[in-house]
Order: sequence, then C-alpha cells, then structure tokens
Amino acid sequence: MLMIKDISIGRYYQGDSILHRLDPRVKIILCFFYMVTVFMMTTVPGLLATFAVVVFLCILSAIPVDTILKSVRPIVFLLLFIMLLNVLTTRTGHPLFTWWIVKITDEGVLRAGLMALRLFLLILSTSILLTLTTTPLLMADSLESLFGPLKKIRVPVHEMAMMMSIALRFIPTLVEETDKIMKAQASRGAEYDTGNVFMRARGYVSVLVPLFVSAFKRAEELAIAMDARCYRGGEGRTKLHVLHMNAKDYFWFSFLSCLCFALIFIDLFVKIS
Amino acid sequence: MIDESVSQQPEVSELPVILADNVRFSYMHPETGAVEALSGVSLMMQRGKHVALLGRNGSGKSTMAKMINVLELPQSGQVLVLGMNTLSEHDFWEIRRSCGMVFQNPDNQIVGTTVEEDVAFGPENLGVPTAEIRKRVDESLSYVGMMSLAKRQPSQLSGGQKQKLAIAGVLAMAPQILLLDESTSMLDPLSRDDFLAVVDRLIKDRKMSVLHITHDMSEACLADYIYVLDKGKVAMEGIPSRVFSQVKELRGLGLDVPVFADLAFEVASRLGLVIEQETLESRGTALAGIRNMLDKVHLDAGIHIPAAAVPDERITPQRTILEVSHLHHSYDKKGEPSLSDISFSVKEGEIFAVIGHSGSGKTTLITHLNGLLRPQEGEIRVFPHEGGDVLNTKKNSDVRQIRRVVGLLFQYPEYQLFEETVEKDIAFGPTKMGLPADEIKRRVRESLALVGLDESILQRSPFELSGGQKRRVAFAGVLSMDPDILVLDEPAAGLDPTGRREILGYAEKIKKLGKTIILVSHNMDEAARYADRILVLKNGMARALLTPAELFSNPEMLRDLELCAPETVICLNDLKADYPEINPCIFSPGDAADELIRAAHGIHTANAQEVPESLPGDAHD
Repeated sequence: MLMIKDISIGRYYQGDSILHRLDPRVKIILCFFYMVTVFMMTTVPGLLATFAVVVFLCILSAIPVDTILKSVRPIVFLLLFIMLLNVLTTRTGHPLFTWWIVKITDEGVLRAGLMALRLFLLILSTSILLTLTTTPLLMADSLESLFGPLKKIRVPVHEMAMMMSIALRFIPTLVEETDKIMKAQASRGAEYDTGNVFMRARGYVSVLVPLFVSAFKRAEELAIAMDARCYRGGEGRTKLHVLHMNAKDYFWFSFLSCLCFALIFIDLFVKIS
Repeated sequence: MIDESVSQQPEVSELPVILADNVRFSYMHPETGAVEALSGVSLMMQRGKHVALLGRNGSGKSTMAKMINVLELPQSGQVLVLGMNTLSEHDFWEIRRSCGMVFQNPDNQIVGTTVEEDVAFGPENLGVPTAEIRKRVDESLSYVGMMSLAKRQPSQLSGGQKQKLAIAGVLAMAPQILLLDESTSMLDPLSRDDFLAVVDRLIKDRKMSVLHITHDMSEACLADYIYVLDKGKVAMEGIPSRVFSQVKELRGLGLDVPVFADLAFEVASRLGLVIEQETLESRGTALAGIRNMLDKVHLDAGIHIPAAAVPDERITPQRTILEVSHLHHSYDKKGEPSLSDISFSVKEGEIFAVIGHSGSGKTTLITHLNGLLRPQEGEIRVFPHEGGDVLNTKKNSDVRQIRRVVGLLFQYPEYQLFEETVEKDIAFGPTKMGLPADEIKRRVRESLALVGLDESILQRSPFELSGGQKRRVAFAGVLSMDPDILVLDEPAAGLDPTGRREILGYAEKIKKLGKTIILVSHNMDEAARYADRILVLKNGMARALLTPAELFSNPEMLRDLELCAPETVICLNDLKADYPEINPCIFSPGDAADELIRAAHGIHTANAQEVPESLPGDAHD
C-alpha cells in the first residue's frame, strides 16, 4: 500500500562491457554526433544504416535485448501519435486510401515511418550510450569536465555538478523518509488513497510539510558537515576519480564519429545522384 | 588577533591540544533576541587524552564543539587549537583539517554517492594529489574495517556503518583531534560498541586526542577527564570518579551516574557510610567497595534491614487483547524473510517489550500491528472489548477501526509534526476520527497533561519547540486518539537521562490508566525495569517470550540470543560469589541495594550463630 521501495535512480545496468568502460565524455559527444546523423538522414537506406549502427552498439553493450527495449516502452504512445499525425496531415503523394476527409498517401506513410524510426533511434542510442551504461555520478563528473571551460565566463560548473551529485546521494534517503512519514501519519488517521479529493490533499499536506522541514534541516546539517571537512568550492580541489582518455577511448571515439560522418556524406551523395 | 605569547611557544608537546579560555557566544533568535549558548566556558585537553563533555540537551555542548572546529567563532574569549587561535584567518583551514568531527545524524554528514567517494571528499577539498587520495581512502577504510564496502552506496549501509564511514572520512584528512558530537546517540548497542572500539584504537595506536560530547554515562566512564556543561557554563569537572561522586549535583543537571556507581551509593546510604571517591572509578572498583561496605553489616546493629522484596508484584493480566499468529513477511520474494512464523499474544494492561538487535524485524513486526503492513501469511487479531468485536488486519479489512485501537508511535516521532499550532497537531488524529469539537478539545488537553506539558504551549508552532518538547507533543498526538494499545518504538531514543526517565515514566502512567503498552527497545536496563514480559526477536524469529526475571536469570539463553544483562544483574551476579543467597534478577539500583544488605545480614547473623565449615570467599581484598 504505502511502500515506496527500491527505486533506482536512472536505469543503470550493471556491467563491464566496452561501452560501460568507455570514457563517459566520449559517450556524451558520440551520442550528440549520432543524433545529428539521425536527423541528417533523409533516405530509407541511410536510416537503415544508422539503425545498423545502433544494433552494433547494442551488441557492444552486452545488455539483454528486453532490458534495452524496456527503455523505449514509455514513448511507444508518443511514437504512435506522431505517426498518426504525419499520416493524416500529409496531403502530397499518391493517395492510397480516401474516405470522407481522410486521405492517406504513400508519402505520408513514408514520412510517418521515417519520423517514428528517427525518434526510436534517438531514444535507443541515448539509452545504450548514456543511461544504461553510465552511472548518474559519472554523468555529473563528465558534464563538469566537458563544461569546464565555461568556468572562465563564470558559469558555476563545479557547483552545479556538486549539486547534482548531492541530489543523487540524497534521493534514496528522502524516499525512505517519505515512506516513514507516510506511515506515521497513516497511524494518526491520515488517508492518501481513500476519501474525497479534499481529504486526500489534506493527507499529503501532512507528509509534505514534515518532509520539507526535514529536508531543510538535512541541508543545513550537511552544509556544516561539508564545512567541517574543509569544503571551499571547486578551486584547488583534486579528485579521487579523474577521467582520463586511454588508447581504447581514442579508438572508439574516432571509429564511431568517422562512421557517423561517413554515413552523412554517403546519404547526401545518394540523394544528390 | 593571534596571541603571540601562546602561538610562539616552542615546545608543542607541552601545550594542550585544545585550550578554551572564557568563551562566550550568543545565538540570535528571531523572537526572543540574543540567547546566550556559552557564557564563559574554559576547558583544556592534553594530547592523546579522551575528554568527555557532558550536559543535557541544550546545555551548549554542541556549540562548544563548533567553536573548536571554527564552525562558530567566540564572541569573547578565545579558543586555541594546537596553539592556533580560531580567530586567525590564516590558521582557519589548518584547524579544521586537524580537528575531524563526527556528527550525530549518520545520514546528514555523508556527501559522496559511494563509500569511497565520501572518504575522498576531505582530501579532495584539501587538494591532495589523486594517487595520495587513493592511498588515504584505502588506508582509512581498512582501519575501520569497511574496505569491502568501498563501492557501496551510503543508503545501503546500516547506521553503525555510516558512522564508521564518517570516522574514515575524517581519518583521510590526517587529523590529530577527533570531535565526537553525540556520534553514538542514534546507534544500537552493538554498533555503538563497535564504534567506540574504533575510537579507542585511535587513542591507543595513533595518540589521537578525543573530545567526546555525550549524555550517556557509560560512555563518560571511558574518558580520562570530564567536563559537565550546564546552561552554557562548566558546572563540574574532574576525573570520572570525582564527577560521579557528586551524584546529587549530577542528577540536578539532568544527568546520571553509571549504574555501578548508583548501586554503591544506594548501599552506602542505607548503611550510613561515606563512599570513597576512588571506588567509583570502574565497575570493578565499585564492586570491591560494595563488598567492603557489606562486611560491616554485622558490626552495627542499628542498620535497618529491609524486608524481603515482594516476589514479583507484577500481576499477569488475563485477557488477551492482541494476538499474532504465524505471521510471516518478506520484503522481497527471493530474499530471507524479515519475519517468519511469529506467534504471541499480548494481555490487556501489561507493558510488553519487544527487544532485538537492528535488523531482527522489530520495526517490521510493529508496522503490522496497526495494519500498515498486511500479513502475507498468518494473521493479527485485536480484541478491544471483552466479548466484543474482533478486528483483523487481513487484506481488505477496514484498518481505520484498528488504528483507533492500536496507536503507533515510531522512533524519533518529532518529524511527524506539521500543523501551525501544537493544538491543531495533537487534534489531527481525533479530527480524522470525526469526533465532535468539544470532545477533541478535551482529549487534546488530557493527552497534553499526560506527557507533562503546560497548556500555554498549545498556541505555539511545533517547530519552535525544543527537541524534548517536540517528542512529547508527538507522543500526545497519538495519545489523543485514545488507543487501547499503544505501540512505542524506542520512545526515549536520543534523549538525555532525565528525558529518558520522563518519557518512560509517562508510559508507566498510561499503563496505570488500564492501557496496554508494547515497547520496542534495545536498552536492556529499561526493558527489564519497565516490562512485564519480553519478546526477543532474532533474525526475524521469535526466540523467547519470558518475564524479565526469567530471561535475565538465564545466562546461557542470553549468550545464545547475543543479549547482555542489565547492569544491576551483572553487578549482583558478580557479588553472588560472596553472597550466594542473592537473587540477581533485580533491576533498580535501590532494590538491588536492599537485596544485598539483606543477604549480607543473613550471612553474618548465620556466621555469628554457628561457625561455618567454609567461608563464602574472602571479602577482605
């Protein structure tokens, strides 16, 4: 009933594959390149080729296929909606089927298919390259490193990364606390899942107020604890885990980015000719 | 601002590591203005010493710790740490580096997302090179025995592991002073011993200087020197035996003496003797002192010999009010069950204690009692009235009824306060029950009186109260629902000795009103003293259901269940060698003293009448 247990942050899949070990910064940049490629593809063979790249990445990641497909599930509805919209609004091309004001053309079907395939590839590639194979903490670290140059124009990159990592650290604690407060208030007669809307809202107030009060108290105590351990911002700070690129990272980076650019050029070439 | 004469002392070893001189400090309070937290505190700590700073909640002891670690600055007076003045901006970071601090709440001091990241946090801030950080992290983690957990997330650790992680995090900064700010108050006895063992090793092998802020008297015994703070002033200081010899003054300050010292005092006062300070050093010396005093029993005919104690006046009530049968629960289908085949029944009007170590299933069990968790197997039935309705927590049954009969107060219940005023908060439960307004009003006042609070508090915000007051308001919030059965999960956790006694006193008062109390505790002394019967849980199984006397008179069973006996029982068992007639199952120091005198008198009068063949041990050592 009131149990909120074992939520995992992100959907990291424990593993030790080539993709898991790849420098997360490389993965972020590759993911960006891949997205560009997907949107540059205009021909069906081109998109099929990009699809093949994703399949290749899936194999590299050594993650079971059903786990990967699960990450796409939340957007299935969106995909269908976009397809439908494309099919119904495209008026050009050969009509395949006409009824009242509905006119379905071959071009519409093609466009809808391509659109859906693009979105599908986008989600799949970010899942495989980032969320499934990279821990949230490493993501925070690599974003700090990638955006590091922005520190020169006074963007608080270190502070933002620190906030992200503290947020990650405290999510399980706060979830546990919410569970505890809900149980305590339920013991006093609060109701969350029965009664009218007003009663339910009242039930949640009795959870949210203590939760906020305690979160502020935690924040205050944590700040003092960080002070006591000599925290003074990002300046002069070193790290236990330093991201650094090795030969393998360079190899995969150049191989995959070349592949993306090659696909874009071939696609352009095919289209022109 | 640096005091030249002190900071240029050549011989550092001569210098105390901490020297506070007449420190004053006031907080700004939004309504009442400045509140003085420290009004002229002076203290001193030598290298490699273990100093305890005692005082009740709100005596200023945590503020004092913050002074040492430059988390606050004295408004007058000064603090010198390793010869550096905390007011000097130049030495600021060096002081913080050399004073590691472990706070009270294990959760609110872990910064890293994994164990090793957290240990690395300090050295990272200091700009230590990466290879050196790695070395320090590994070294600190293996020192506290947590190397195998390096990659774990903090949320997967137990409270005790989190506090050891906090020590490791501090060690990685290579400090010379360790400040413990009530670091053990949220731990269970096993983790506390484990934590204190690490601290003890640090003092012995690393010559670490430790300032331990606590209100636990058994921890105070471990110190070389004690300062007692009260209302921002040093009220007492000295070596432990000297401080413990002032029992009246200590109690007046909301503290207590260790049980062995209490027992020695009780015996001495009954015999009209004066206790020598040296006997209060440890349990061993106290017992020797008690033996010496008891030898004098026969010499003086004027001593009042107490009558034999009434065997056990705790009557076992008859009617069953709550019955748990074959309860089974597992959070995760494949894993170990958290409760397996638990059956017991609670009688109306008794205090029923549930004891067991962390992870034994205590909390899971009590969350079943008011239907927060429904039984996966087995059932729980509640019989509110003789021959009346039977309530059941099985799936689809209406739990609202049950929650009116079974009130549940979780550990650290302060967090459940949320209303604008204390009155509204206490009224939350009865309002939910749909009671008429005047009935609610009456109940709010009644329950407030039961927890010893004044009605003037009703219109205040619960958030501006002190910790102890919040605890009582939360308690009243459950009492106002007028439950027949009250489940209390560690109601006294984290309170100072006086606060503990008060809260448990309320439980006894409520019992006298005919209510049934289920008390979850890991404090054996308290379970023994207050409970009528004790249920022992271990690894999710009900291992014993006995009266305190039956449980604590059975050493084999205690060993098997990994429980320790109450302190009075340990003392009496030790003295049993000389006085075999002693009944060791007595849980209050006063009664124990009576028993000792009676036993001694019995032996000595017997000796006077006939010369015994063998004397029961040599008591003249």
